[in-house]
Amino acid sequence: MEEKETTIGAAEGLHARPAAEFVQKAKGFSSAIVVVKDGREANAKSPLKLMTLAAKHGEKITIRADGDDAEEAVNTLVELISTEE
Amino acid sequence: MADYVKLNGVPASEGVAVGPVFVHVPRELKPERESISRDAVEDELMRFGDAVEVVARELSETAERLREGGSESEARIFEAHAEMAEDPEFHSEVEERVRNLESPEAAVITVGEEFAGMFAAMEDEYLAARADDVRDVASQIAAELMGGGAAGLETLAEPSVILAVNLAPSDTARIPKGMGLGFLISEGSRTSHVSIMARSMGIPAVVGVGSELEKALRAEVVALDGVEGYAVADPDPDTISAFEKKQRDIAAEAALLEEYKHVEARTSDGRRIEVSANIGSVEEAEDALDWGAEGVGLFRTEFLFMERTELPSEEEQYEAYRKVAEAFGEKPVIIRTLDVGGDKDLPGVDQPEEENPFLGWRGIRMCLDVPELFKPQLRALLRAAVHGNLKMMFPMIVDNVEVRGAKKLLEECRQQLKSEGKEVGELEVGIMVETPAAAIRAADIAPEVSFFSIGTNDLVQYTLAADRGNERLTRLQDADHPAVLDLIGKTCEAAREAGIWVGVCGEAAGDPAMAPRLVELGVTELSMSAPSIPRAKKVISEL
Repeated sequence: MEEKETTIGAAEGLHARPAAEFVQKAKGFSSAIVVVKDGREANAKSPLKLMTLAAKHGEKITIRADGDDAEEAVNTLVELISTEE
Repeated sequence: MADYVKLNGVPASEGVAVGPVFVHVPRELKPERESISRDAVEDELMRFGDAVEVVARELSETAERLREGGSESEARIFEAHAEMAEDPEFHSEVEERVRNLESPEAAVITVGEEFAGMFAAMEDEYLAARADDVRDVASQIAAELMGGGAAGLETLAEPSVILAVNLAPSDTARIPKGMGLGFLISEGSRTSHVSIMARSMGIPAVVGVGSELEKALRAEVVALDGVEGYAVADPDPDTISAFEKKQRDIAAEAALLEEYKHVEARTSDGRRIEVSANIGSVEEAEDALDWGAEGVGLFRTEFLFMERTELPSEEEQYEAYRKVAEAFGEKPVIIRTLDVGGDKDLPGVDQPEEENPFLGWRGIRMCLDVPELFKPQLRALLRAAVHGNLKMMFPMIVDNVEVRGAKKLLEECRQQLKSEGKEVGELEVGIMVETPAAAIRAADIAPEVSFFSIGTNDLVQYTLAADRGNERLTRLQDADHPAVLDLIGKTCEAAREAGIWVGVCGEAAGDPAMAPRLVELGVTELSMSAPSIPRAKKVISEL
């Protein structure tokens, strides 16, 4: 299992377009991936669950993956989400 | 007037329509079966999977079609819907219910409602509004499971005015091309999905008519005015011809205004009046240019600061200002520094609750007290000025103590940037004249600045002591009041003596009745919402 904490860089937060891009990337990995915010977990491949986290710009989240490509998945998603727009 | 039934609502999409009525009855969200037998589980799961696939494919196809037609933001709505239809968490919850012998259509509706309820309860307005999207998607999957959507909008064969309680994006997408003449809707506001879709499809719409809609359901013909926001059920021949005349006038006016979009506005005695746009985000820049904006008279910077947990960095602000400056090239872009008060939360700034935020700690008052808020913005502006014709102005100015304080901070930032070896551009500094104090003493302030921009909305509110949002005070919300006109005149006179120019960036600037008076008083720049630009240019050219 692999996990990392990061800060959301996209100005819109993990809403709308950034969320869609995030989900697309997450779906490309075979690992099970979850996003954790304030102790609440959401499946990274589910736009509905992800939006219910209401993660905003500047907030901290943890990305955790379990599976063959866990390390690559976490690194890719952390990089995507921490990039300032 | 003849005795016909008139329905009042909100004008949501401009234009006039007259046509036969088509009443859209939404598919009833009621599952045909509540439960299934144990041996049917695998088959039902397969049916659910197939239904999802069909709905997701249709949604993606609609998105593709809209994108090819240039409707990017509408395409994104359908794309998001397609992703919701394919959501793995949504699927696993439905599948679990089916394994517990619930029918798939009942399960889809229940799980859809659960997600919708979760969104509806969220504080964030954007996320709360997603509840309707989830319901829309769930109902499409349920309808597909029950043998496809009921015969509805897609069967429309005669161009008609469509009456409905509401129309979801999936509904509007099913209307065959050319068959929707107008929308008359009982729910909704100007910002509802149905209104946005109507505007992008160019279909006149009146929304929010409420229970009055019932009065029109039995009508054969409805005439609808999306400019004024009302509809007439079963209009008599005179009314029909009046509407048809309005239709022709609107078409003629649109064609005429098209010609004025890109002309330089000049009065008959040769005075050049710059007609610019008010914008509130970087994305609006292109749209403003399309409407013929000769610059930006007011770029509100609040969007950079809202709905976030940290203040925007200097770098982020620099990028935003640079993008707008570059989009306009040689044309002037006036950026207004942050103008918020106790009515809006700022991350990282301790704002005490105020009884009267519009007379409180806001705008330049707050910025001068909190340099860590103000300085990154000033630094970003100085750096962005290298990339275009940027100007800046301070809001809510009352006197020279504020003007000099702000200029001193600006100068400090300039020196700091230079000592850091960063490139700094030149930019004119002006103020918003929106308090009576600034207008009355404009002669004192004029020598300190390069221009005045009159914010008529606040100037009216502060001069006439009338809250902008109070519906009972409409008489006192008009810039065409002698007290306000006197202050505008005084401001122009002081500017003339000091040799600086005056613009107006409030609603009055885009009002065809007010623009001539402002020009007469000596205003040389009018800044307004972009769609008002062609008409303003025409009005000025006729002076």
